[in-house]
Amino acid sequence: MNILEEMKKRLLFFDGGMGTLLQEAGLAPGELPELWNLSHPETVTHLHLDYLNAGCDIITANTFGANALKFTGDNTPTVEEVVSAAIANAKNAVTQCGCPSKYVALDMGPTGKLLKPLGDLDFEDAVSLYRQTVLAGAAAGADLILIETMGDTYEIKAAVLAAKEASDLPVFVTAAFDEQGTLLTGGSIPAVVALLEGLGVDALGLNCGLGPVQMKPLTGEFLKYASIPVIVNPNAGLPRAEAGKTVFDVGPEEFSSVMKEIAEDGARMLGGCCGTTPEHIRLMIDKCRTVSPVPVKEKNITVVSSYTKAVEIGPDPVIIGERINPTGKKKLKEALKSGDLEYILKEGLAQVSGGAHVLDVNVGLPDIDETGMMCRVISELQSVVDLPLQIDTSSPAAMEAALRLYNGKALINSVNGKAESMEQIFPLVKKYGGVVVALTLDESGIPETWEGRIAIAEKIYAAAASYGIAKKDILVDCLAMTISSDQSSALTTLETLRRVRDDLHGHTILGVSNISFGLPARPVINSFFFAMALQNGLNAAIVNPGSEDMMKAYHSFRALTGRDLQCAAFIEQYGGQPSPAASAQTGPGAADLSLKEAIIRGLKEASKHATETMIKDLPPLEIINSHLIPALDVVGKGFETKTMFLPQLLMSAEAAKAAFEVIKTTLAASGISEEKKGTVVIATVKGDIHDIGKNIVKILLENYSYQVIDLGRDVEPELIADTVCSTHAPLAGLSALMTTTVPSMEATIRLLRQRAPWCRVMVGGAVLTQEYADMIGADYYAKDAMASVHYAETVFSGNN
Amino acid sequence: MNLNYKETIRYLGYGKQEPDAAIRALIEGCWLELDASLSPKCTWDVYRLQHKEENRLCFAGMEVTSKSLNKNLAGCGFILLFAATLGPRVDLLIGKYTRLQMSRAVVLQAAAAAAIEDYCNGINTKLKSVMAEKGLYLRPRFSPGYGDFDLAHQRQLITVLDTPKKIGLTLTDSLIMAPAKSVTAVIGLSEYDTRCHLSGCEACGKTDCEFRRFS
Repeated sequence: MNILEEMKKRLLFFDGGMGTLLQEAGLAPGELPELWNLSHPETVTHLHLDYLNAGCDIITANTFGANALKFTGDNTPTVEEVVSAAIANAKNAVTQCGCPSKYVALDMGPTGKLLKPLGDLDFEDAVSLYRQTVLAGAAAGADLILIETMGDTYEIKAAVLAAKEASDLPVFVTAAFDEQGTLLTGGSIPAVVALLEGLGVDALGLNCGLGPVQMKPLTGEFLKYASIPVIVNPNAGLPRAEAGKTVFDVGPEEFSSVMKEIAEDGARMLGGCCGTTPEHIRLMIDKCRTVSPVPVKEKNITVVSSYTKAVEIGPDPVIIGERINPTGKKKLKEALKSGDLEYILKEGLAQVSGGAHVLDVNVGLPDIDETGMMCRVISELQSVVDLPLQIDTSSPAAMEAALRLYNGKALINSVNGKAESMEQIFPLVKKYGGVVVALTLDESGIPETWEGRIAIAEKIYAAAASYGIAKKDILVDCLAMTISSDQSSALTTLETLRRVRDDLHGHTILGVSNISFGLPARPVINSFFFAMALQNGLNAAIVNPGSEDMMKAYHSFRALTGRDLQCAAFIEQYGGQPSPAASAQTGPGAADLSLKEAIIRGLKEASKHATETMIKDLPPLEIINSHLIPALDVVGKGFETKTMFLPQLLMSAEAAKAAFEVIKTTLAASGISEEKKGTVVIATVKGDIHDIGKNIVKILLENYSYQVIDLGRDVEPELIADTVCSTHAPLAGLSALMTTTVPSMEATIRLLRQRAPWCRVMVGGAVLTQEYADMIGADYYAKDAMASVHYAETVFSGNN
Repeated sequence: MNLNYKETIRYLGYGKQEPDAAIRALIEGCWLELDASLSPKCTWDVYRLQHKEENRLCFAGMEVTSKSLNKNLAGCGFILLFAATLGPRVDLLIGKYTRLQMSRAVVLQAAAAAAIEDYCNGINTKLKSVMAEKGLYLRPRFSPGYGDFDLAHQRQLITVLDTPKKIGLTLTDSLIMAPAKSVTAVIGLSEYDTRCHLSGCEACGKTDCEFRRFS
């Protein structure tokens, strides 16, 4: 019988620990356990056989770390050799035990490297590593793939994509949580369940890290959210060090008793991890014999996730921040064109503090590489914001690239009732997971009646079902059209909302503010319409969380309908005193400071305020030259003479930046472009992933009016040379933290000398010294960030 | 864990000077956020140590040639391999502020550097009492990259201790530890309590370092 069929019928049992037993059998410290598949096949087979004799249904082949990072084929066997030997050993054991109805799992653990941005492994490279192992395992005849002991949702996604793209085998995934139910990189259980169910795995759960006692409550959490079978493979207790050895305290008796309870709670597959032995497994199976399996229930929860958080879209309405969308936003358009991601990140953060639960991301502009920009914005946003994102694009190519890269289960904006749209979008939803916005329009346009829109919603549900996409993963967009052209349109939208809720039992979404195009006092009418829409069942609203009127409607609705228990959120929002932080910013004193004083003291708000006042009377250039720069010089001197220190230097730099923002806005409004002293290209060199030092240099150079092109970290020499050539930059700044990455700094300098002989190169970073800088041929060693500013002044004044 | 204020300001370059109230508030605010991102983990194991000629040391299947390490381990029959990390969420937090607010990023970075040291010192103290029961005394921690103990041995330490699986500590191709706030080290175990072993700043030859600790 197929395992997917069998798991529906009864409890299934995994084997227990392998590593600990191999160590007992003589595996040397540092020796790769997977090598034993080739060097000690009998030992490995025998261990499998012990587990089979203990009664387990699924044995995991000894392939946990069998990837090309460890098995390069140079001094080691290849991945294919290791995997096929491992599967052969497991299959031999199955043959020897005489029960052919056992299953062999290809076992895949973490790659052993961290994915970017935490480490240096590229997401697609991780997919390729796993793909190679999957192909080898499938070719060797594995019955299923078990991805286990995962600590990072992003790596989980890479492994699952590889498993699904390179094989048709069932895919089971278990992750290693801490006692609070958090993954190493911060993922919560609902977020992991959302991600995995979205990717279409067949069973999921937890393993390693904890013993059965600690896993029991976490299993409950899994069972609450998961609509597919849950796997629980604990260690034999929490690991404890004794005489330099890791020991596990929970013996077979206690282990099996708790495992029985976990089975009674509803877990469908049970086994063990580190420290468990065939005896643990035997006793567990024995005790579970009397447990009747709890049926796996469809939970019908509509949920999107980021790498840490899950957001449920259901009875409690959800706010989707609409601000990252260039339509009608001049500043955002400019930011996108110039690649100024900082502006976009700040826009994202502002919406988070405004109360958004999800952020919409739309970067569509006529002259932009939308796919590239979408991917950059998604990655950058995910590194500062932990809310789920709504990927909003009409380009299927950009949609696929973004969905592939996105760390979580995204909201997808959008599909509609046109056959072409559904053919393009549904396969992506099916493959990558996601909740998709379904616009109630089709080839014949937008129906004017609620009946027409409901008919399209039904058509979309049916088409989605044919792709295997559940109704819960569709949000019907009932379309808000302005009442200034058709007065009945609001009523049509409201009735459609109500019908989706009451007749179709589905979920809805709306771009609320469209209702008032062409009318005055839009915030007023928008917020009233918003409240009406909520009352008619709206589940997710695409609005501006910065709009006070909209948020008032939202908070009031929740309080009025009993969704906000004891009106706690409402009281928190509107009942308190102004926060101390806010009064400090605006309180007496701060507002009266001169710009110079504000910058020296590092007060951002005061600096902004002073500039706003000053710019009414003084020309921008005078503010810069007579107030801003002198203040920065004071701080710089203080830093150099050690009366001021790095945090103050940077707070001042940030305050100066706030002043520059005001000046920039004023200049832009009067059509004058800002003058820059010249271009500096900066980067952390190839192989190095530290960027604090480089970013300190960046903010100071920007303060002194240089155009800084920041190429980021781990940058190829070629890209640095290309950029210097294309901008003809007179100065490049390179940063390296480690002795191991100084050679790539040297290589970059060599390439720059060849291709851009005009360009001066300054270097800095923890390991560098004047001597080192001379040795690798740099023009200047910047001992700190101020030194880099001084050198830039020399280079650009032509005195070098 | 608790904020190590003194070490944090030392890492920020304050030397003996006291930061003003604004910076103190910044440091305390950063700590609250950092503390919530910590998931400290460590792993260690003990191996027999063999001293061979020409400063060669053999342990845990590794062979290290290092004069300074040999000196550090003189008289030790066992060696403890040690790895610890504050976990990847610290890097995510610092990365976030590196994009948004550098003043916070540098303070977080300093506070995290102090925190990993404190964490290691705490574990060290525990190890001391565990080993004392067996009649063994600990030498100061010695990490790859100290003196002439080649950084390349980092790879072997990580492999022997299986840190990617056990505590989530990995290495990049250029031997950078990820998560960044991590430590690997060896600790000599000796039957003799030889005091006055210097460690940290006091053991370092770079006496003009501006971050040098004042003892």
